[in-house]
Amino acid sequence: MQTNKGLKLADILTTVVISIVFGIVYKLWGPFYYSVKPFGLHIDQLVYGMWFIAATVAYLIIRKPGVALLAEIAASSGEFIMGSEWGLEVLIYGLIQGLFAELVFAAFRYKRFDVFVVSLAAASSTIGSLIMDLYKGYIEELAVWNLTLFIGARFIGAIIISGIFAHSLVKALEKTGVTQMVRPASKEDYDALNR
Amino acid sequence: MRLDINYRETWLHRINPSLKLIVMTILFIGVLFIHNPNVLMNLTLGFLLLLFAFAGYPLKYLLLFLLPFLFIFVSTAVSMILFGNGQTTWFQWGLIHITEESFFRGLHLGFRAFIFALLGLIFSLTTRPVYLFYSLMQQLKLKPKYAYSFLAGIRLIPIMLEEFQTVQNALKVRGAAEKSNVFQKIKRYAIPLLSQSIRRAQRIAIAMEAKRFSQTVSRTFYYEIGFSKYDVVFAIYIVVISLLSYYLSTIYPYIPITDVR
Repeated sequence: MQTNKGLKLADILTTVVISIVFGIVYKLWGPFYYSVKPFGLHIDQLVYGMWFIAATVAYLIIRKPGVALLAEIAASSGEFIMGSEWGLEVLIYGLIQGLFAELVFAAFRYKRFDVFVVSLAAASSTIGSLIMDLYKGYIEELAVWNLTLFIGARFIGAIIISGIFAHSLVKALEKTGVTQMVRPASKEDYDALNR
Repeated sequence: MRLDINYRETWLHRINPSLKLIVMTILFIGVLFIHNPNVLMNLTLGFLLLLFAFAGYPLKYLLLFLLPFLFIFVSTAVSMILFGNGQTTWFQWGLIHITEESFFRGLHLGFRAFIFALLGLIFSLTTRPVYLFYSLMQQLKLKPKYAYSFLAGIRLIPIMLEEFQTVQNALKVRGAAEKSNVFQKIKRYAIPLLSQSIRRAQRIAIAMEAKRFSQTVSRTFYYEIGFSKYDVVFAIYIVVISLLSYYLSTIYPYIPITDVR
């Protein structure tokens, strides 16, 4: 039998499937991103935050440890398998971004599921992606005003898309009733039984 | 990537997928620490050779796959070229400030993005996802519950794309497409797609658990994946290309800059 330790197959499969939906979004987001990129003034960075959304949405739906990391890895491998323009890069970025989001959820001991925590996770993923960019893109060599614009735009975009929007998406999803199938029984559920 | 394109199965297809993934990851990290554009240009040539000569795909498809990479090359290079720091000014107009240093740094970034894309393309064109996950289970001891979940997930991609079409058509019929912002639009697609996917995932998970797909002890595998002489060939090719790129860059540099930082 399965032990209680770790995620169960049902949790993993649900996370993976949710992530693949976002993998498709990630893949479609690529052409959109580089079509706004040549404008140069980092307008593209405002939409960058979409690539962090799998972690926050999956965490909000399933509410278990490890889900955010797994979701971001699965979404990036989905994007990779569908033939991402960035190739192998997306897997490594996915790993780092998922890890940074996971750290935030772990810091709140997987007990909080509000807008603030997911926005913080989105910001944390942003930091992860910036660390990668520091190695990959020499972003520190951009002129100061340009770099500030770059980082600022990415943070704002991430919080709006993967924080606030992700939260409202899951709120809307809760109304369909599917989230009750996947979440662990909460204290209110037990209270309802004892009534 | 599953495509209905006829391809020859070459030795690149027969390499152990775990080994291929690890070598590609090492190359990825290695390339991050190369600051000499000459080395990157040589490496690009080496990997282009690998793709065109040994991937086993018809030339016209390969060229088609490479097309979006040019966008990546240009878009990655352009903001560093226009806005990067540097001493030797070539051109200045308003906020745009092109210097010799920023130009070559931009070029370097373009080549780097191009190499990452090439490596990814070579990997996804020559590796079947099924073999990859079987190999990850056997060689890298990935837990079966993760591997089979990924495999099941990959099989669902076509169904999801079909559902996406259905939602799109349904919205079109109802005239819902007009007057909505991006977020509303995404929500309109994401809610039905996600809720259906979650329901489907739950059903599949129950079936898989009943058939003990999550079992780890005394597991047997339908595909037994091991190592062969092709793995040695691959490793030697990569090592030779890497050393040759470095060596050639010291004796025949294309551009006189050895460090773009």
